[in-house]
Amino acid sequence: MIFFFLLLIGMFVALVAQHFIGPLPVIGSRVLFLPIIMFYGALALPVPGMLALAFCGGLMWDALNVLSVEGNVEIAMGWSIVLYAALGALMGGFRPLFQRGRWEIHCLLSGVCTAFVVLAEYLMITFRREPVVFLFDKEIWWRIGGTGLVAVLLSPFFFFAFNYLAFLVGFDPQPERNARRSR
Amino acid sequence: MSRRLIIPSVLVFAVLTGLILFLSPHNMRRVQAGFLGIISPFLKTGSTMEKKYRDFREGLKTLEQLESENQRLMIANKELSATNQTLRGLETENNRLRSSLDYRERAVFKLMPARIVARDASTWYNKVVIDRGSTDGIKEDQPVLTDLGLVGKTTVVAEHSATVVLVSDETCRVAAKVEGTQEQGIIKGERTSSGSTPSIGLNFLSKQAKIAPGANIYTSGVGGVFPSGVLVGQVKEFKMRELDGHATVVPAVDLTTLEDVFVVVGENK
Repeated sequence: MIFFFLLLIGMFVALVAQHFIGPLPVIGSRVLFLPIIMFYGALALPVPGMLALAFCGGLMWDALNVLSVEGNVEIAMGWSIVLYAALGALMGGFRPLFQRGRWEIHCLLSGVCTAFVVLAEYLMITFRREPVVFLFDKEIWWRIGGTGLVAVLLSPFFFFAFNYLAFLVGFDPQPERNARRSR
Repeated sequence: MSRRLIIPSVLVFAVLTGLILFLSPHNMRRVQAGFLGIISPFLKTGSTMEKKYRDFREGLKTLEQLESENQRLMIANKELSATNQTLRGLETENNRLRSSLDYRERAVFKLMPARIVARDASTWYNKVVIDRGSTDGIKEDQPVLTDLGLVGKTTVVAEHSATVVLVSDETCRVAAKVEGTQEQGIIKGERTSSGSTPSIGLNFLSKQAKIAPGANIYTSGVGGVFPSGVLVGQVKEFKMRELDGHATVVPAVDLTTLEDVFVVVGENK
């Protein structure tokens, strides 16, 4: 429970910190911390914990980022919750491997899922904005893929930091690895 | 234990998410304003720390530098005050003449200075958060500008902070006119314009319009949100499309390095 709240605080701090990091020069992609923590939580926590984290993370993200101009809402608040839960469930499929102490593929997947979140946002706003034109030029792909790439590079640091925090509060996100070590 | 909890937790999750998804736009804005109110003290603290760090990196100025800067600012202040007085006189005279001609009086706006405390972190939107909110008289859909030109308009308003959607965002549409011509159109940001290279476009111009690069674009005042005569930017290039003319516009205000803005809060008494 303490670890869940630590993840929640981590997501909130990540949300604040993201505002002070501009887009990356040349490629224009963003540095997103919140999805990385969310996807780490999907690996470390059981399904109810993952769903609670997806709910809180998605709600925070939408509350700050969903745009409504002159009463028109583009993306309804709550879509990020659904998206995070679905991707969290996908990450959860790889949880047994994570519990055994492996996390390389999970870092890669965390980047892919982060890129998917950006892609899904793009598709949603494209459907809502008129005229409906699916523009997929180099710049758009860099924004989507670049964000994922940055997430892949940052994931190991976040995974390591949160594994350490878990250790400090007495939570074991990788019980099988630690059991094997103690044997 | 955990497995038994899966189905109830999925049900609770589905119900709560459903409730959020079906929020009315009004309630959605209230939730957004509430959350902005919670997060804005952290954003303000972060912004102050970032500013202090930047100032520290730029280094301390010498006493002579400060003195000369102070001198320069005092002169600039006097010049601006004098210009302001003259303009106020002209405004009164203009309104008197307009009323004698039975024209509607041009509204005199009150400007509320605000500081940008955070920039948007999302990929597809161009927004900033300012340190003024409903307690300062800020409301939704109020124009935001600087001395150089138009910045955008307010959207979500919390008690002590507000979100401003920038003119470079695709959702911010502004009725505009081209200086020295009868051409009018709609200014709209481009989807890929967020980030370091904001670009905006003036659409629905006539195909015959001969608009030279460098021509100034001003708000036309149509639509009621933006006052007329505010500089939006300069034309970079004009091209004819199948049905209309389109001009690429360079914003008058550097939206990427912007720090201080003014919100048009209402009529000046």
